[in-house]
Amino acid sequence: MKKILILAMFVVVAVGLMSVAGAAEEKKALQLDGSTTVGPVGDAFAEAFIKEKGCSITVKKTGSGDGVAALIDGRCDIAMSSRYLKPEEYKRAVDANVFPVAHVIAMDGVCVIVHPSNPVKELTGAQVADIYMGKIKNWKELGGSDMPIVAISRDTSSGTYEVFHEKVLKKQNMDAAVEYVNANPQAHARVKSTAGAIAYVGLGFLDSNVKALKIDGIMPTRQTIAQGAYLVSRPLFLFTNGYPKLGSLTHAFCIFYLTEEGQSIVEAKGFVSLTSY
Amino acid sequence: MRLILRQFLDKAFTLAAAVSVLIIVGILLVVLVPMFQKGLSAVFFTETIEFRKLQKETHNRGNDEALQRRIEQTNAARKPIYDVLADFSLGINTESLVKEAKDIYQKYGEYLNYHNIPKDQYTEYRKQAKDIRDTMIAALESDNKDIVLANLDKVLAQEENPIYKDSPVQKLFILALQYQKTARTIDVAKRSEYLTNLQEVTTAIRQLFGPLPGEALPPLPMDQYGATRMDMAQKALHILLWDEAWVSDGDGKPLVKKNISRREQFAGTALEPLFDQVEKNIDVLLMPQFRCYWQYFIDDWVNSHYFGGVGPEILGTLMLTILAMVFAIPLGVISAAYLVEYAPDNHWIKLVRMCINTLAGVPSIVYGLFGLAFFVVTIHAIGKPCILAASLTLSILALPVIIRASEEAIRLVPQTYREASLALGAGKFRTLVNVVLPAAAPGILTGIILSLSRAAGETAPILFTGVVAMGPIPNFGSPSEWIRNPGSLFGGLLQPTRALSYGSYDIAVGDRISMLVPHQQFGMVMTLILLVLILNIAAIVIRSKMSKKLRGY
Amino acid sequence: MAENAAQTSVGQKKAAVGFSRSLLLTPSEDLVGFLSGHLGRAILFCITATSVAAVLLIFYFVIRESIPFFYTGTAASGIARVKEFFLDTGWYPSATVPRYGALALIVGSLYVTIGALVIAVPLGLLAGVYLSDIAPFSLRQICKPVIEILAAIPSVAYGFFAVMVLAPWLQTHLGFSTGTNAMNASLILAVMALPTIISVSEDAMSAIGREIREASYGLGATRAETMIKVVLPAAHSGILAAVLLGMMRAIGETMVVWMASGNASRIPSPWWDVSQSIRTMTATIAGDMGETPKNSEHYYALFTVGLTLLVFTFSLNLISEYLLSQIMRNKRGGK
Repeated sequence: MKKILILAMFVVVAVGLMSVAGAAEEKKALQLDGSTTVGPVGDAFAEAFIKEKGCSITVKKTGSGDGVAALIDGRCDIAMSSRYLKPEEYKRAVDANVFPVAHVIAMDGVCVIVHPSNPVKELTGAQVADIYMGKIKNWKELGGSDMPIVAISRDTSSGTYEVFHEKVLKKQNMDAAVEYVNANPQAHARVKSTAGAIAYVGLGFLDSNVKALKIDGIMPTRQTIAQGAYLVSRPLFLFTNGYPKLGSLTHAFCIFYLTEEGQSIVEAKGFVSLTSY
Repeated sequence: MRLILRQFLDKAFTLAAAVSVLIIVGILLVVLVPMFQKGLSAVFFTETIEFRKLQKETHNRGNDEALQRRIEQTNAARKPIYDVLADFSLGINTESLVKEAKDIYQKYGEYLNYHNIPKDQYTEYRKQAKDIRDTMIAALESDNKDIVLANLDKVLAQEENPIYKDSPVQKLFILALQYQKTARTIDVAKRSEYLTNLQEVTTAIRQLFGPLPGEALPPLPMDQYGATRMDMAQKALHILLWDEAWVSDGDGKPLVKKNISRREQFAGTALEPLFDQVEKNIDVLLMPQFRCYWQYFIDDWVNSHYFGGVGPEILGTLMLTILAMVFAIPLGVISAAYLVEYAPDNHWIKLVRMCINTLAGVPSIVYGLFGLAFFVVTIHAIGKPCILAASLTLSILALPVIIRASEEAIRLVPQTYREASLALGAGKFRTLVNVVLPAAAPGILTGIILSLSRAAGETAPILFTGVVAMGPIPNFGSPSEWIRNPGSLFGGLLQPTRALSYGSYDIAVGDRISMLVPHQQFGMVMTLILLVLILNIAAIVIRSKMSKKLRGY
Repeated sequence: MAENAAQTSVGQKKAAVGFSRSLLLTPSEDLVGFLSGHLGRAILFCITATSVAAVLLIFYFVIRESIPFFYTGTAASGIARVKEFFLDTGWYPSATVPRYGALALIVGSLYVTIGALVIAVPLGLLAGVYLSDIAPFSLRQICKPVIEILAAIPSVAYGFFAVMVLAPWLQTHLGFSTGTNAMNASLILAVMALPTIISVSEDAMSAIGREIREASYGLGATRAETMIKVVLPAAHSGILAAVLLGMMRAIGETMVVWMASGNASRIPSPWWDVSQSIRTMTATIAGDMGETPKNSEHYYALFTVGLTLLVFTFSLNLISEYLLSQIMRNKRGGK
């Protein structure tokens, strides 16, 4: 008798959980996969969409490469990427009958940041490359105080790392002593707490706790990034399989950045809207 | 060795052993206390009127009337502050004032046309207006206080002229008056500095009280409300009252931080009384009071965890673990029963035992890899990361724990029980089901609960097999749908879900916004720890009851 | 029924008390029962064998996905790959010419594990000694739940603690240039390995039995001497098993090292400098897996790292199994 009661209780709990979970009717669904940099914009767009249209949007932030792979495998509708497709990825996509179309929704600048107490105000691209390759080890060589440089980089699988690697380091390998962090907020936290640290983060992470350096004489601002004048500016992409069908949810999502609301979300998240120049 | 030395060593050893246990208890406290301290502030905190506004608008909680009254009170208290700010802003932003002057001049031309003034008078009036406009612009653009004031006086001298009555030019005189007020008090040359500082002050006011009246609604929910908690309000207040600058301490030395009081920055200007007003009246402006936000465990998050709670994550974790148990419990208990009761003592069984122990030792990330390679990639019926794949992976993780605990529990059942049952004529299977298993039930239950808590806390196996950072709560349809179409239940299992364990990781290293709300980060981790702790304490209680039952004391 | 007993058919045994049928039926009489009994046992064996199936499948899939990394055509390139994997310290999978040198990762895993054991083993053994021999029963009842709670805290909570609380503390109070380093990871791993070490070594010491202890006391030894010179050596196999199980736990831990170790793929130089960041195998798999496209070289390389991890923990498991069987023998009164 007691056993039957316990069993019945379990069944009721299970049914209850599931009906709490899915009491709604079938909604239109959208699946996004990809970069952790574009992720916050995707999140905010998704939230605005859910409020307006009542659809269901799933956002996975596992990395640019995985997002593109998911698009090729057909597991997602939109891939978010902070870099363009690599040639092998493009070839694999075409081989699988997927023809990726890029939508640029915002621009981002990779800013080199240091602790606010660091007297150094600007560096050249070559100097930054030397720091990350281990050739410059102390701030006094650059006109700062006598402190060892703690170089911090995003880990090798991130799109931000790839852009930095390509444009600043010119594809050379980093020094073995460089510390790797998983994501932008960690890099920001490390610089905030360590006086001798140098790192690179997206534009949206600049605040009063860190100081951005001028690179080659140009300060990363909305204008310089949108014009491409700043050394490490990059577009942020959404990739779809072919141009999305007009009027579909995917299409609405991909052109959302053109609306006023989309632009203000992009700016509020700390990125540069395309029309900033 | 001398006896005293040996006794001393003995005492020292005992002391060291006792100290080590104390250290371990200390470690537990050091780990748990900060988590709970900061995590509980997500549930118990001092809220402000902004929080109540948020709750009303997103979840429709709270008494409408009382809230309205309160909102009116705070608005009344805030109005003077907004007025001071608006006055000063109007007077400082010379670029927009120049634009307005030009606008007014154009409008005046239209006004004259509208009133059909004869042509020569028209040209005359327009020329005079142009003069006034140019003087005004000269006043706005000059850096020299004397020139500014002289030009403003010239403009304002024209105020009495009757031809300008009821015309748009009146507005120009109002602007001139306001700018005169500002120009008398500030150092005109440092206008741009005042402008930058004013922008920081305005941002701080927005952080405290929400968007300024008359501004468009910002797109992100986090900007649509002011400070919802008193601790965040205190931070914004600090930014309002103090500015910080990094000044040089000498060549080759790091810069040092200097705090500059904003009262000094704006000393003598119209903005100065604002700071005192805000600081002294903060209670009336925000109406703080204590709140127990227990809905934290039910609500969904708003704006990347800036507001809201962890409800769907808890639901996701529960779904994953319960489904994992559905797979693991039958397999585990039956395997344990077989191993104890039926298994012969040959090398096949030794192999099985060895495999079970191996399973217990596999690292959790390798489970994740296996789950990815097998459940997601190889089994095409599943094909993508989803609840089903993640639960299957978790069930394999939980299996060895259940088997071990059940085996021990079944072994502990005294042989006399079995002998008595057999003597009464029951077969071996009957004995197992009706006598042994119920007697071993507390131990088996303990094992189940322990594996449940392990499955709830694991992140690595579910990373690639079915968990997402943001997504809808999985839709299983309603019971009526299941009757019509049983396949829809399976469809529900093919969706990914959020989970507490992955959410804690994501929020710790993820969005920038999470860094602004540490109470949310700690709150999620605390929820996970609470869940696991409750399960474990239940297991401990059951086990102590069981030991009483089986031992008889 | 007694009347029926008197009328039993020829061939059936006569029971003392009459039953309607004999107690033990031959297969020919009760085919259904016979078959179902054996079928049932077979089914139960198969169900139990799912664990075996699971282990075999795990090994199969991990090996299957690692082979394409080594076998790219010729045996020579395969051997070169193996050499690069185990001897090269550069892990640059997304460079233009990718290098998959996992030496730094392997050394990193071992580094934090040994660091964790250095802290956890003395602490754990002392606590085990205290709980098995010195503590009164009531204190033991209190300490057991404490240790179980320590074991139950999820690893992501420990990782969170390491990043948010321990790392800033290390930076401010010990003056390290970075708070997420090998020392941070070792400390947390030690805390995670402690419960295993304490419980297994306590079991081993209790299994020794009272006789050895009483003999030692009878000869006039103090408690410390008994523990150090008699009990610990007698339980050495169990204690070694405890250490190995703790090591298995530490090496297999993912979330804590991913968040707290700094993820710098290099070998600390000088080797005793624990304030430098390192990267472990588990953190590499967890961190890189999200970015790698399926069935690319990087994907296979990550599975190879997983295979290394699996082989390592499996061998540790086998050794500790063997050692634990020794305490089984002790318990039953052997040796």
